[in-house]
Amino acid sequence: MINETELIEQLKQGDETAFKAIVEQWQDMVYNTILGIVQNETEAEDLAQDVFIKVFEKIGTFKGDSKFSTWLYRIATTTALDHLRSKKRKKRFGFLQSLTGSGGDEKEQIPDFNHPGVSLDNKERAAVLFKAIEALPENQKSAYMLHKLEGLSYRDVSEVLNTTVSAVESLMSRANQNLRKQLEEYYNKHYR
Amino acid sequence: MTPQEKIQQQIEQTLQSLDGVKRAQANPFLFTRIKARMNKKANGWEEGIFSFVSRPVIAVAILLLVMAVNGWALWGSDSGDTVGDTPNSFPELANEYNTVASVNNYDYENMTNE
Repeated sequence: MINETELIEQLKQGDETAFKAIVEQWQDMVYNTILGIVQNETEAEDLAQDVFIKVFEKIGTFKGDSKFSTWLYRIATTTALDHLRSKKRKKRFGFLQSLTGSGGDEKEQIPDFNHPGVSLDNKERAAVLFKAIEALPENQKSAYMLHKLEGLSYRDVSEVLNTTVSAVESLMSRANQNLRKQLEEYYNKHYR
Repeated sequence: MTPQEKIQQQIEQTLQSLDGVKRAQANPFLFTRIKARMNKKANGWEEGIFSFVSRPVIAVAILLLVMAVNGWALWGSDSGDTVGDTPNSFPELANEYNTVASVNNYDYENMTNE
């Protein structure tokens, strides 16, 4: 089996077999990262395709200073967050939104995303948690998802987000505080 | 247990609901789809131009533009003739077609008389 460095070198030469091997090796990682952030399976698949096309086009800029997986995580999180930003912009200026006014909060409270990797007995709770995660600021969301969904250590998360370990600790702590606050509101409203 | 304690318990359980989550699996045909998109992108500019031009709104706009340019060209050439180039008198017209020195019916008559 060809090792990672050789695959990357071959990909830099435009080798299609190497590209296929890279996609097959990292597709679940990229898809899972994106899915956690965008919380939509169809969009996550399209964005995963975008990520690998970017990898093919930009592999020349990969110097090997960081791990290939770190570089890949970085492209995946940036692509997912860019997508959320553009979706938000479209929503903000959407025609329907202007017709219906600022209403729609009630609909937004319904947790509707089920991550396929969550066990059956946790599905309902995880959907509520994902709804709360959706409202987190971008950097907290990325740190939380990389740590919780992908199981990255704080050090690895710091490398992906290009920041320090203490900054990631702070992001995680604030993310947990925000999530607790939102869940408290949710359960005060819905729990009997 | 007080209602507040119950809520706190719910929150804790919810925060732990992602513990042990498995990685979601991508579509097994992801690479095939990526390849298809890359091929489409590679041939994209020609198809892009064709699909852009063949859109009804664009096609009608181009047609109107061509008609407008034609109309403008016709109107422009007509008005140009009347304003600048039309000779004001017969001698001028004759001059323009270089007929002053040429043979005409009168010359033939003169020639036969001679």
